[in-house]
Amino acid sequence: MREGPVARRLLRLVTALVLAFLLAPMVAVILLSFSPTELLALPPRGFSLRWYGELLDSARWMLAMKNSFVVAGATTVVATLLGTAAAVGLQLGRFRGKAVLVTILTLPMVTPYIVTAAAMFFAYSLVGLTGSLPGLVLAHTVVAVPFVVVSVLATLQTFDATLLRAAASLGASPATALIRIVVPNIWPGIAAGAIFAFATSLDEFVITLFMAGPGQFTLPRQMYASVREFLSPTILAAATMLFLCSLLFLLVSEALRVRAERRGRA
Amino acid sequence: MRRTNWLAALLIAPLMLLILGSFLLPVGFALFTAVADREVAATLPRTRAALAAWDGVGLPPEPAFAAMAQELGQALEDRRIGDMAQRLNFERTGMRGLLLRTARAAGRLEAPYAASMVALDARWGEGDTWLLVQRAGGPVTPLYLLRAMDLQRAPGGGVQAVAAEEALYRQLFWRTLGISLAVTALCVLLAYPVAYTIAKLSAPWSAVALMLVLIPFWSSVLVRSTAWFVLLQREGPVNQAMMALGLIDAPVQVVGTRIAVVVALVHVLLPFAVLPMHSVMKRLDGIYLRAAASLGANGVQRFLRVYLPMSMPGVLAGAAMVFLLAVGMYTAPALVGGDRDQMVAWFIAYFMNREVNWGMAAALSAYLLAMTGAAIGLARVLTGGVATIGGRA
Amino acid sequence: MSAPIVRFRGVSKSYDGRTPVVAGLDLDIARGEFLTLLGPSGSGKTTTLMMLAGFEDPSSGSIELEGKRIDTVPPHKRGIGVVFQNYALFPHMTVARNLAFPLSVRGTSRAEITTRIAKALEMVRLSGFGDRRPQQLSGGQQQRVALARALIFSPSLVLMDEPLGALDKQLREELQLEIRRIHATLGVTIVYVTHDQSEALTMSDRIAVFEGGRIQQLGSADAIYERPANAFVAGFIGENNRMEAVVADSTTLRLSDGTMLATAPHGFSAGERVIACIRPEKVHLAEAGQRAPVTEVVYLGDHCRLRLSYAGLPDFFAKRPSLDGVALPQVGEAVFLAIPPTAVMVFRATPHRE
Repeated sequence: MREGPVARRLLRLVTALVLAFLLAPMVAVILLSFSPTELLALPPRGFSLRWYGELLDSARWMLAMKNSFVVAGATTVVATLLGTAAAVGLQLGRFRGKAVLVTILTLPMVTPYIVTAAAMFFAYSLVGLTGSLPGLVLAHTVVAVPFVVVSVLATLQTFDATLLRAAASLGASPATALIRIVVPNIWPGIAAGAIFAFATSLDEFVITLFMAGPGQFTLPRQMYASVREFLSPTILAAATMLFLCSLLFLLVSEALRVRAERRGRA
Repeated sequence: MRRTNWLAALLIAPLMLLILGSFLLPVGFALFTAVADREVAATLPRTRAALAAWDGVGLPPEPAFAAMAQELGQALEDRRIGDMAQRLNFERTGMRGLLLRTARAAGRLEAPYAASMVALDARWGEGDTWLLVQRAGGPVTPLYLLRAMDLQRAPGGGVQAVAAEEALYRQLFWRTLGISLAVTALCVLLAYPVAYTIAKLSAPWSAVALMLVLIPFWSSVLVRSTAWFVLLQREGPVNQAMMALGLIDAPVQVVGTRIAVVVALVHVLLPFAVLPMHSVMKRLDGIYLRAAASLGANGVQRFLRVYLPMSMPGVLAGAAMVFLLAVGMYTAPALVGGDRDQMVAWFIAYFMNREVNWGMAAALSAYLLAMTGAAIGLARVLTGGVATIGGRA
Repeated sequence: MSAPIVRFRGVSKSYDGRTPVVAGLDLDIARGEFLTLLGPSGSGKTTTLMMLAGFEDPSSGSIELEGKRIDTVPPHKRGIGVVFQNYALFPHMTVARNLAFPLSVRGTSRAEITTRIAKALEMVRLSGFGDRRPQQLSGGQQQRVALARALIFSPSLVLMDEPLGALDKQLREELQLEIRRIHATLGVTIVYVTHDQSEALTMSDRIAVFEGGRIQQLGSADAIYERPANAFVAGFIGENNRMEAVVADSTTLRLSDGTMLATAPHGFSAGERVIACIRPEKVHLAEAGQRAPVTEVVYLGDHCRLRLSYAGLPDFFAKRPSLDGVALPQVGEAVFLAIPPTAVMVFRATPHRE
């Protein structure tokens, strides 16, 4: 559709403003995190890594960072393995009710986190899983795994099932075919799902708030506690680092998507 | 074929078990908790048995008084009285005091208990007190689901509204719904031109613009809410900027207002509206618009009668996604909102962590789930089952 | 003849439990032969092939390979080579690694694999292509690789499911010859599925014509063309003028408009309703005989095709070879037909179906 020059300029202006609105807060936080003083003023008066130094010197923040990465790492491994296996199974199987299975497996994605958190807290406390890192990993896996399933299923759509028949005719057992034929062909989808799972766990806050024990601060939980306590630019340094992690994940996942699209066309 | 299905089942089973055990069962258990009534039955089993035969007229027979006195004393000794006292106190204020007082005095009470308990506290002489205990015997109660709608059981049976000063939840749900709908509407209105423009941009620019939408989409809700918390401080950059521009004379308090909640929510959820709209618009073929033009439709007609209806699935998917996430959002309002701006999620957390009233937390969760389910269902119906809802928050 | 390499006994297949895709199939495949399963789509030929490969389970009946029942043997343990229509080359592997795949899953030594890859590439005339990715090859080259991959582990039986369907005509003919050559060189048994009858006639030792889940006729190319077993085979293989008729006596048929046709309807009694088929190239144009007006003339180079109005049929075709110095008939003219009694094939009116 061709709109008039005025309309087009107006649309572009609105778009630019909305994009600015979307990005401004993060830009401000990044700038403020380099502020030499505690004063939250823009533009910052000078440049300093002082708050990053404090972040790295703080035992609390470092513990939180360690916890976050341990939980996110474990969550990613479990979610990627189980999610990929289930997606492949869903694609392979010839049975009714597949849509129902997919819906069930992806329910945690559409359930409000607060409901998931409350329900898990009820149930996990009965079996003594609250306040433990394994419990937290389990909880994070539940909310992260649907992204792996969805991502791998999407990639499997472009996977030619004849290749499995070809592999079988050439003497490969189903397990061999899975490892040597399926996985190498869908790895961009698996990797994208794994990254999303890692990011989900790293950023997850609501469930952690309920499930984690008193000593088990993760980065988001530490950040939330600090904001409520005293607003120091250290928090902004932490926020900036989390943001940079997200940015990295975004870039890698985009690269994977482009790769997968190319492969899909080939 | 059969072998393949076995292999498929084997691959799906581990995740299915995980989801079943650590998600579906917990959610099911939570939903049951919304109607479960376990405390009185667990703490006062003999009293409950003695009350079972009572017809509710006048006062229960002596054995019920005796059992109550003994079991209260025992429960206090075993430190098991708290949950039950809280359960009954939640239904009628003052019950905790009565129960604790009676429990402490249990050693001094003697037969006939009916007389000595009424002498200790006149409320034991009221039929309503005993009716309350009898009805709380379980196994299920509509108490929490009713209360979460500001209703209660009337003494004579039936349902009535709670006293006006105790009413809280209907307003809470209206507020949650109102904020969520406002945020959804704002997101759709802002996202549509953005998605449209990005879909129209030429090659490198469309990718760049889309990337700018994806950056906030990928960064955490907490980080972004914290950013708004910082920006909207009294001494924060937004106030400074507005003062520098002469828009205001003195810093205004934004954090802790409804405006802050809506701004933060729109910011957090806007990408979820842009992305589904964009993915639909990207595929909208110019051929239909050219066809419309060849059939004599002008620009406005082409937009209203061809482009808008064809982009509707994306709009509905985006709107459903935003609403779904807004309705259950905890983080952003908790950080930038005041006490009067909190939504259902905050109250669920409140009942979980501070009140330790799992029944209410579960009842509110049940209603929240129902709202979410309705939003998904509506989106499915409106798009003819096309809309797939997914994303993260 | 030695014991058959494959033996189907009463094999039926149905997906919904009611409509059979393959019905009561009995078929022996001889060692070393080139057998083509030919039929229209939905006739059951591909399902038959897939049951032999192990990708589909028969609903009933048994399949034997080398004298042993293979119903419970999974596909990867059958040792049957398969060539797929879309090649099914593994896109993430080079040509050489595609060829190495069946050997490496069998634990063949690396040195042996290298030698055999070189031989296989040479056999399909693709030496030097080992390091390419399948996507970098043309369709014909990809199909050669697929062929080499299905043969490299020396299976005694190779199945081909419309392997040339995606190629253009010239390439298809080239590869047909190549497959014939490989078949002759290696002496493997090939079961080949196609819906292209000229492909089937060119390549096969024997052809099984499928229709409605059953084999309508099994025989050599010339037997099927010259002596079709029923009206379906006659109509499906080659061109045919199909006419309803009634047996008048032991030497004559009466067509529906009363035209009499001389032939010898063996095994039919007078008054029986039959189908008579005449191939267009067997219809001779003569100086005198039965008169037929020309309604269309299509020039096809080596011959021309005449649409005639004959015996009440508006679409009766005859082929006339192009001859030097003889003018083509014109539309509106009439020609005279000479139909030799041996050219008329007579079939039962109800074709063999269920």
